[in-house]
Amino acid sequence: MIFQLFNELNDAGILGMNRRNAEYIMRYNPRARFPIVDNKILTKQLAREYDVPTPELYHVIEHHGDIAGLEEALGDHREFALKPARGSGGSGIILIVDRRPEGFVIQSGRVMSREDFTYHISAILSGIYSLAGQEDVAIIEALIHPAPIFAEVTYGGVPDIRIIVYRGVPVMAMTRLPTRASDGKANLHAGAVGAGIDIGRGVTLTAVHRSKVITHHPDTGNPIEGVNIPYWDSLLLTAAKAFDMTDLGYIGVDLVIDLNRGPLLLELNARPGLQIQVANESGLWERLESVNRAPPEVFFRAEDRVAWAKNAFTVLKG
Amino acid sequence: MKRPATILAFALFALTTLIVMYRIVWLKYPVLPTVPGQVWRLSFEARIQPEGQEIIAAIGLPAEQAGRVLTEERITSDTLNFNLFQEGMNRIGLWSGTSDKEAAIVTYEGSLLLRPHRFPASHNPTLAANMPVIKDDEEAFIERFSAKWRTLDSQQRFKAVTSVAGGRQEESNLSREDLDAWNKLEEKHGRSGALLILLKAAGLPARTVSGLLLVRGVQTSPATWVEAWDGKQWQNLDPQTGRVYSDPSMLLALTTAGTPVVQVTKGQILDTRWSLERQVMSKWRLHFERIKRSQRLLDRWSFFSIPEEFQNVFRILLLVPLGALMICLLRNVIGFPTFGIFMPVLLALAFRSTGLAYGIGIFTSVVLIGYTARRGIDRFRLLLVPRLSALLTLVIICFGLFALIGGKLSLRALMGVGLLPIVILTMSIERFFVLIEESGVHEALRTAAGTVAVAVITFLIIQWEPLQLTFFIYPELLFAVAGVQVLLGRYTGYRVSELLRFKALVRKKR
Repeated sequence: MIFQLFNELNDAGILGMNRRNAEYIMRYNPRARFPIVDNKILTKQLAREYDVPTPELYHVIEHHGDIAGLEEALGDHREFALKPARGSGGSGIILIVDRRPEGFVIQSGRVMSREDFTYHISAILSGIYSLAGQEDVAIIEALIHPAPIFAEVTYGGVPDIRIIVYRGVPVMAMTRLPTRASDGKANLHAGAVGAGIDIGRGVTLTAVHRSKVITHHPDTGNPIEGVNIPYWDSLLLTAAKAFDMTDLGYIGVDLVIDLNRGPLLLELNARPGLQIQVANESGLWERLESVNRAPPEVFFRAEDRVAWAKNAFTVLKG
Repeated sequence: MKRPATILAFALFALTTLIVMYRIVWLKYPVLPTVPGQVWRLSFEARIQPEGQEIIAAIGLPAEQAGRVLTEERITSDTLNFNLFQEGMNRIGLWSGTSDKEAAIVTYEGSLLLRPHRFPASHNPTLAANMPVIKDDEEAFIERFSAKWRTLDSQQRFKAVTSVAGGRQEESNLSREDLDAWNKLEEKHGRSGALLILLKAAGLPARTVSGLLLVRGVQTSPATWVEAWDGKQWQNLDPQTGRVYSDPSMLLALTTAGTPVVQVTKGQILDTRWSLERQVMSKWRLHFERIKRSQRLLDRWSFFSIPEEFQNVFRILLLVPLGALMICLLRNVIGFPTFGIFMPVLLALAFRSTGLAYGIGIFTSVVLIGYTARRGIDRFRLLLVPRLSALLTLVIICFGLFALIGGKLSLRALMGVGLLPIVILTMSIERFFVLIEESGVHEALRTAAGTVAVAVITFLIIQWEPLQLTFFIYPELLFAVAGVQVLLGRYTGYRVSELLRFKALVRKKR
């Protein structure tokens, strides 16, 4: 009975947690390279070497003592994002849209007092949001103004694009659309919608919300399927290059499309989740195995890997 | 990729099998080390007054039989010498020597393990030597009754004997003369002597047995009963009532065939006492004794060689890897969400001192109280480490309160919380709070329930005494546990919880 059900998952080519960990993450992601992706500052530095654009870094706060000089260091930046360098799943991020004498205006329009803001920074520094609870640093970077591509299917916040890259080949992609429930966060666990993307065409497919397949955005009510994503080739190429940057064979690449600067690399993830399969209504394992069967010449250049993936992983509809 | 791990695992299994086989085949360990049954502790004490400074006393001691195992025998002999010898079926302790005291005190102590359903074996009967002297009167009596019962088979004759001895005339069909003869015989030889003659008349082998009734308490003189062969097995007859003892395992024979339990040839017995106590823990001690006396390498290096108070710790410790194995299974194969990896094992260990119901109650209430407090102090914006310290203090205060309440209500379980893993519990509160904030109440409750479920399963495993004993006697089983853990480490199949998670996908494919 239960084996039969397991077989069905197997036949659908679905990647389970155990196989992801044992056969992909442990096999292709050398532990020594993890800090590159776990620390956003290191990721940014590396991206600069490879000419991959990232949100501009304004300031880094390393010690509690630095907090006092923050206002000065911010200069005339009126809007910015405050993040823990080693945070995971978007926790600890605060988006500031304006500065006023009484404090900082956060995205929802509420004013955060200086005291609260300072407390949040020290919380970041003491490692509350870092992956293993070790001490962290806070970074302040340019606020992203999302291009209005997903405006119809987003409720507040910044939608991002997650691409799973295996041995440098983009194998599966989704866009994460904030909802009222996710409080502007593009995090599926927090209640964001994940919409699958056709790798070949750069068009959204069906979506998943809280483990259920949906067709319309729960807040805006607009259909999610069929959104054309601009810069698609450039996004795929950036994702493919992330492999050259990190030497990590199995990563999740998070990207955003900024209104002014176009595609930006937001962060990398060495343990990308499996929910993307539900968003795409397709199994990852199947795709990973077909990458393994690809001819060796495909893997030499990022451009070739993208071209191969676009051909291999397109969903031909109608 | 997969093969080296498998080889390692099977090497571990092979190692385990080898050592276990060695113990069973060469060291003669019991295959199933658990011994169901009950254990009695027998203590005997006698004060003997010397006769001209000299004492010779022979005292019947319990003997090992099928279904009855003797251990931990201890004998004190004051200034006397002690010798043990076998006399027929009897095991006799002989104390002899000189004593210049008013009375010498000799003692015997032993543990007796009874295995239910394994009664002392029924041997081919041999007529006992303690028959009263047969003269004309007795001869006549025997003839009268054996003529009467000639046509019956031995079991029917045995039944007839019990009805005569039990005084149930309507069953035994006796004439007045028969009855008179029986009463005269009883007067002359006493009840057990008369019963022996009656059994001889019935042609049934019989003998008297002296011993103790296995009941808690002190007996100052041994009881006597009659064993008779009914054609199939030995039956124990109470000479006073003529009835058969319903539970033969409740009789402890000390001497048979008329040998008195206490025989003093020089000196005088002042008093004797046999006291019997039921024991609870002795299953355990049984193997302890056996292995402790052995000189074999593995026996000397067994956990039985460490002091007993530490043994109890290792009984549990040896099962902790098994608990960890359960967690591997439940997390990686089933997909239970839990707080931390080994939190459930620590909880399970804590449940040992509180019991399951109170343990879960305490865990739940501490997490809930902690969560409320954590919400409350959130607005004070305490830094991580001081905040966790404050929560830890709160947890300790809760435990203190529980203990005080437990003291007032005489509930020991509430006072046993001291061993609950306080630090881990503190971290659980913090994670519970963060989980509620980030993933919602549903997810947090699911994780808490998963933690408790895994802890309960682990608890039931480590509390199972036969398993504790098995691992204690065969600690090499840990290698096998490690082998399974290695194999599980290479399990790349799906988790049961993923069936639910990817249900939509499978449906789509079909």
